[in-house]
Amino acid sequence: MNTLLISDKDAKTKLSEDLKAKIIRTLKENGHQVDVFELGKEDVTQCYGCFLCLTKHPGECFNKDIVNEIRKNIDKYTATFYLTPVLFGHYSSTIASPMNKGAGSNNLQVVIGYGDDIDEEEKSTFIDLTAKHQGKADIVHPGLLNQADVFVSESFGDNAKICEALKKYIK
Amino acid sequence: MKSICLVNGSLRGKQASSLEFLNDIARKLPDAEYRKTIITVTGKVKDRYPEDILNSINVADAIIFIFPLHNYGLPGALMRLLEEYNKHVRTGKEYFKQTKVYVIVNCAFPRPADTCGEAIRVIQNFCRRLSLNWRFAICIGTGPVVVMTKKVPFLYPKLKHAYTEIALDIQSGDREKKGNYFIKPIIPERIISAIKHYYENKGQMIKKNKEP
Repeated sequence: MNTLLISDKDAKTKLSEDLKAKIIRTLKENGHQVDVFELGKEDVTQCYGCFLCLTKHPGECFNKDIVNEIRKNIDKYTATFYLTPVLFGHYSSTIASPMNKGAGSNNLQVVIGYGDDIDEEEKSTFIDLTAKHQGKADIVHPGLLNQADVFVSESFGDNAKICEALKKYIK
Repeated sequence: MKSICLVNGSLRGKQASSLEFLNDIARKLPDAEYRKTIITVTGKVKDRYPEDILNSINVADAIIFIFPLHNYGLPGALMRLLEEYNKHVRTGKEYFKQTKVYVIVNCAFPRPADTCGEAIRVIQNFCRRLSLNWRFAICIGTGPVVVMTKKVPFLYPKLKHAYTEIALDIQSGDREKKGNYFIKPIIPERIISAIKHYYENKGQMIKKNKEP
């Protein structure tokens, strides 16, 4: 099984590097191949919300950046893992690019936030941002994220727990 | 004279519904009484936002963020501006901590109360981190439809009232908490649902999602 891991290279911390290493190890130990993309602010363009990728030229963004390339190969992956710092309860602008452009796997998307200075409300906002809107939050929900999960890591101990929790998806 | 910073969080240029809402609220704030600065986010900022843009936020008496809902959150381009501004003030730059903050969310969905909550919370978190004075939000369901029909008389009285409330609130010294405004669409949900199904069938990614 091929999996995709997308992280924010401008927001690397000891915690995020440990998290990334542990996730890759967990995936590999369970027989999965992992393609890792470390994206930076200079690598990505942001989603314009033009919907042309859904209507005029499905699956393709008019902005020909790395995210567009990732999205072209979306069928290759059975799961996508996003690693992002939690900023005000939101994912970073860099990670917003692939997320908003639909560059994640159609089967499973897991959003993992990290930070050692996240307050409870930010943590709760971050979780709700993904978890509350799966499935039927609204009648025009575009049918995405039927299989999605979200985690927040604030410590090395959390990293280990998250990897343990991920096993239900990857075994 | 009060200084107002209007932040257009859409990348869609003149086509943006958010820009229409920005112009609506700007008209409620006459030039004779307010010094208005409009900041438009960009899709790719080389290195960082220019200092003068960030400084214009520093000195604002009020900031109004107007943006489309993306994936139930903020557009990445707006998020980038918040990140840059946060870094800017963390370097010790002085800024006006009592700045009042308002949000106008242009939400494509017909049930704004169900869908805009997290985006509002992100801005509230931003305000709390920077000790800014969060006020309230206007969440507009099916924003583009509202733009197309807003000139029809007697439609959207609640939206017009909400704009007026922002203008009055900026002027007043009121610090009392205020509720958010949710503007529901005039088009029946079953029609909106039909439009959704049309695009779901047309969109490759969404169609694949439905496959077992």
